Amino acid sequence: MTVKKRTSDLTSLERFNMYYREKEPPLTGSQKVKRFIWNPKTRQFCGRTGSSWSKIALFYFIFYSALAILVAICMWTFLQLLDARQPKWQLERSIIGTNPGLGFRPTPPEVASSVIWYKGNDPGSQQFWVKKLSTFLAAYKRDGKKAGAGQNIHNCDFKLPPPAGKVCDVDISAWGPCVQDNYFGYHKSTPCIFLKLNKIYGWRPKFYNSSDNLPKDMPEDLKEHIRNMTAYDKNYLNMVWVSCQGENPADRENIGPIQYLPHRGFPGYYFPYTNQEGYLSPLVAVHLQRPKTGMLINIECRAWANNIKYERLEAMGSVHIEMLIE
Amino acid sequence: MASKESLDHGRTDSYRVATIGPIEDDNRTADGQFKTRRKPPAKKRKPGDLEDLKQELDIDYHKVTPEELYQRFQTHPENGLSHAKAKENLERDGPNALTPPKQTPEWVKFCKNLFGGFALLLWIGAILCFIAYGIQASTVEEPADDNLYLGIVLAAVVIVTGIFSYYQESKSSKIMESFKNMVPQFATVIREGEKLTLRAEDLVLGDIVEVKFGDRIPADIRIIEARGFKVDNSSLTGESEPQSRGAEFTNENPLETKNLAFFSTNAVEGTAKGIVICCGDNTVMGRIAGLASGLDTGETPIAKEIHHFIHLITGVAVFLGVTFFVIAFILGYHWLDAVIFLIGIIVANVPEGLLATVTVCLTLTAKRMASKNCLVKNLEAVETLGSTSTICSDKTGTLTQNRMTVAHMWFDNQIIEADTTEDQSGVQYDRTSPGFKALAKIASLCNRAEFKGGQDGVPILKKEVAGDASEAALLKCMELALGDVLSIRKRNKKVCEIPFNSTNKYQVSIHESDDPSDPRHLLVMKGAPERILERCSTIFIGGKEKVLDEEMKEAFNNAYLELGGLGERVLGFCDLQLPSDKYPIGYKFNTDDPNFPLDNLRFVGLMSMIDPPRAAVPDAVAKCRSAGIKVIMVTGDHPITAKAIAKSVGIISEGNETVEDIAARLNIPVSEVNPREAKAAVVHGTELRELNSDQLDEILKFHTEIVFARTSPQQKLIIVEGCQRLGAIVAVTGDGVNDSPALKKADIGVAMGIAGSDVSKQAADMILLDDNFASIVTGVEEGRLIFDNLKKSIAYTLTSNIPEISPFLAFILCDIPLPLGTVTILCIDLGTDMVPAISLAYEAPESDIMKRQPRDPYRDNLVNRRLISMAYGQIGMIQAAAGFFVYFVIMAENGFLPMKLFGIRKQWDSKAINDLTDSYGQEWTYRDRKALEFTCHTAFFVSIVVVQWADLIICKTRRNSIIHQGMRNWALNFGLIFETALAAFLSYTPGMDKGLRMYPLKFVWWLPAIPFMLSIFIYDEIRRFYLRRNPGGWLEQETYY
Repeated sequence: MTVKKRTSDLTSLERFNMYYREKEPPLTGSQKVKRFIWNPKTRQFCGRTGSSWSKIALFYFIFYSALAILVAICMWTFLQLLDARQPKWQLERSIIGTNPGLGFRPTPPEVASSVIWYKGNDPGSQQFWVKKLSTFLAAYKRDGKKAGAGQNIHNCDFKLPPPAGKVCDVDISAWGPCVQDNYFGYHKSTPCIFLKLNKIYGWRPKFYNSSDNLPKDMPEDLKEHIRNMTAYDKNYLNMVWVSCQGENPADRENIGPIQYLPHRGFPGYYFPYTNQEGYLSPLVAVHLQRPKTGMLINIECRAWANNIKYERLEAMGSVHIEMLIE
Repeated sequence: MASKESLDHGRTDSYRVATIGPIEDDNRTADGQFKTRRKPPAKKRKPGDLEDLKQELDIDYHKVTPEELYQRFQTHPENGLSHAKAKENLERDGPNALTPPKQTPEWVKFCKNLFGGFALLLWIGAILCFIAYGIQASTVEEPADDNLYLGIVLAAVVIVTGIFSYYQESKSSKIMESFKNMVPQFATVIREGEKLTLRAEDLVLGDIVEVKFGDRIPADIRIIEARGFKVDNSSLTGESEPQSRGAEFTNENPLETKNLAFFSTNAVEGTAKGIVICCGDNTVMGRIAGLASGLDTGETPIAKEIHHFIHLITGVAVFLGVTFFVIAFILGYHWLDAVIFLIGIIVANVPEGLLATVTVCLTLTAKRMASKNCLVKNLEAVETLGSTSTICSDKTGTLTQNRMTVAHMWFDNQIIEADTTEDQSGVQYDRTSPGFKALAKIASLCNRAEFKGGQDGVPILKKEVAGDASEAALLKCMELALGDVLSIRKRNKKVCEIPFNSTNKYQVSIHESDDPSDPRHLLVMKGAPERILERCSTIFIGGKEKVLDEEMKEAFNNAYLELGGLGERVLGFCDLQLPSDKYPIGYKFNTDDPNFPLDNLRFVGLMSMIDPPRAAVPDAVAKCRSAGIKVIMVTGDHPITAKAIAKSVGIISEGNETVEDIAARLNIPVSEVNPREAKAAVVHGTELRELNSDQLDEILKFHTEIVFARTSPQQKLIIVEGCQRLGAIVAVTGDGVNDSPALKKADIGVAMGIAGSDVSKQAADMILLDDNFASIVTGVEEGRLIFDNLKKSIAYTLTSNIPEISPFLAFILCDIPLPLGTVTILCIDLGTDMVPAISLAYEAPESDIMKRQPRDPYRDNLVNRRLISMAYGQIGMIQAAAGFFVYFVIMAENGFLPMKLFGIRKQWDSKAINDLTDSYGQEWTYRDRKALEFTCHTAFFVSIVVVQWADLIICKTRRNSIIHQGMRNWALNFGLIFETALAAFLSYTPGMDKGLRMYPLKFVWWLPAIPFMLSIFIYDEIRRFYLRRNPGGWLEQETYY
């Protein structure tokens, strides 16, 4: 590397001539590129000599290493401050908020799609959904083989809420047609869809405290059902209710009768979710008993509680499912 | 083309080019554009074709007899044209005015602003958005309107910035309009025997016009009658001596013949009557103006730099965009997603606000310069002046006061220095000696100059004078020394006078005495000293009359040579008391056949005059020198005068010798001197004509101090081109019309606001309102400062590009939810970054910017590798790290630990998935996820603002410590507060979540960026500390931008 003379050392003539440079002979475009890539005169590769390249590489290596260390220190310090079991911000302080949505199973293979689509007379196409469901429900099976998972589980009831640190069992074995042995009804074109309420750490539902005090937009059949249930047992008020119906009038016709298993909602004793070991989301199996085939049916399922707000476009407190049986 | 032409021809060529016949209409405007689409030219004209057009046209107007001329124009010397004929001519030829240069139509200018630069790239982005939206709209029932929204925003951004820069441009061009609306010129015309006063525009061919001293010649005229008529052709030929004009034909060359006077030159003395032979664009002046507008000026350096920079950024944007478009395909993304990535990358890469910032910075500087008497016509010239490495300056009016002033007097056998300063702060001399009194009397009486009326409050030196420049100088000098000269003249009534003429070279007048007791007439004479001395037999010394012996003649000669050597114009003065017996009161003196003595007079003294340098000029020249700017003087004056002025203002510095000086000192012939030994050079115009371009280059290269004397304006163009050939950025000053080609050719043409002609102002990029060379130096200083500050501003703006683009890359490559959205990017580029970037234009210089060399236009670019390396490679990376850290912090605090995020993108962005599980088992709906994502965008945005605080502070200086520089730039401090307030406003205003998808942040989320902010600050302080410690070291070569 040439030592640059300081300008003060130059004679005034030299100084002026620094700014009067000879023009280089004109080069064609390809010559310029070639000379840029490898200039044999100055032994420069892409405008730098080997030693220049190694120096700048070393500089950036050190610089980025230091930056990486800085990021690592910050990250490590930050992660130390986090709790492994509970999120730092919860409920209204967290962005997740206090308004759970609903989720459904089985989920379509395409991530961006919400269509459950199969051929009623083709066992191969049913098989995909059945398999999906059984994989999903595997966690709920209690066949004793799984050590550890069972010990935390407690059979709960409205009168028997789970003790601290324990979780309630979700017994899926007796859910009528919506069991694996029945292929979840898929082979008969009467498919079951499993609904679950989104888990939000620490969230407790605010139940409707009386069957007379139900929201206006609640479907009549659900109101009826609630009244019946609560008449039978007041404890059933402590439920997050679920309703499913076709989105449009046509869908409402096409969907046919719906059966909800085991209850028409999620019992209150499953809440709150506090990231307990082995927690199982309560499920509602929605059995479409006579859906029209060959027709895309838009279904909207909605969860009902005093503190669940609903808005269709934002899918607040609800979920949108499409069903197409050919 | 101009250079070639000017090399092939001698000095009068510009005139020949100008005086050749009207160029045939090739259906193009002066700048080579086709005028209409109707008549496409048969072939493309090559530059060489101008040569063909240069056939000499017989302008025979000056050769033919006046009678033939009247015949030709159907006019009459006494009665003039008939009104009908005049009207007909006017309709045929159009008004007698120069056609202004073709203006670009406003809509073209507007479109240039709308589609030039980055705008095109953003339009592509906007169109892609609309396409993406269109496709989504046709395939999905409820399309997300994000793309439509973004498309509209992008289009709005382009249109708004386009309108903004168009507005700025038109504002600065409006300043120029004020120069176009000149005071209308009037001319006295004879039509149908009546004397009319018409506007000069209404003159037509064949009109008989009357011109008197003080008028501007309204058109090219052939003179048919003249009385002591003199014209100042300096604006045309650069010769400052008034030239007499009469009816006689004296030269084949129309410019040299006595019977032509030219449009827009000035009548100085006498009156004349003439016939209009050329009007408007056909006049000599009109053709030179046309020649100037035909010259290719090329881009200004800053425009080159900005284009270079736009190409670079556009190249990077397109390269990255296309690369990631392809990568997205390979990774199996849907093509629509890939298009959206492309849009994101384009938006992130383009510093949308930067061009507006540059415009504002230049405007601010232009305003500041205007307040210092430099009016900048075109914004980019602001910076050009800063990169100037050579200034070719006029002498008259720019370096000098453009006022002949008495500098020395010789009487009583001693040289006395007169005060030449503008404010009379110089030395005073004894005004009581009889020698001075006698000299003063001659100087006051033998003088026809008079002050123009209505100048009571004006200082004597600044008063306008009717008359010859030397007489004016004498008048002012006497007015200062004696008081009211006019009353002296009244008291000594002039009885007879022989005016100065070139054969006698003297001027005589005879006056009655003001002393009532003395009936004698006083004869006073002034003229060329040697001629005066010849006519004298005695000399007045020390109050006594002595015989003029050899000794006295020797003393006279010495004084004469000394004063002449100073480049001064010397006049000799003598007088004689006429005996009252021979010449009593009322004696009829006859001037045609002098009946009074003109010999054996009494010699009194010498007075010498010079156009003295302006007071501020030597300082300014010294400043230029220390700033590495070569000042070349180009003048039409005599070499000795030129050299004297050059020496007195420091263009030739003390101790530097020319070849001739060395020859004289060593007493050897000039040819034996090694020209390399002489640093200074005075080049005569005739010498210059003999030189080829290599020899000229050699002179320009090897002499640091150059004076070109006796140069024609055309040679000015050659000199400018020579400097440019050597790679210099040349500023040229000029005031005459004939200078306009050189002004146009120069990188920056500087016209004079007071003395300058309209054409020169039109050709120039800058106008010095006070005609003062020192103002140029101020301009250079401002230009250099703005270049430095623009660099800082660009470094600041570009830095945030990395934290803007890296989220997209991470989004595509790591499959994480998008950390920073396009709208937030626009909020940074057009919102928070704007004011701080502009505020850097107000930054004070780090060191004395006039003590360093001008920038090297080849190496020292506005945006260079070092700047990119710093902005992108170092500071930008730290900023990106800060942004990502904040992103991960917010994600983790809400439930998504960093590792969970990788590969989650598809589920995250799917509307169908309403229950995405986080690290704590919580399940997120689409809406909540997006709220989280947009909160992250906001936080990323805020963290960029936080790290940009540090970036702004480090960008204040390139070498000094911030402690040294201080925080006294209040615009910048305001910028800091403004960007913070704006960020808070965007984040916390209710409704922003709907409008801009900006969510309110918890206070703690402002904090994670702080360690990174501090590390930027500390890193750069350390870097600059090292730069200062190791000047020229490796770090400087790699990181000093």
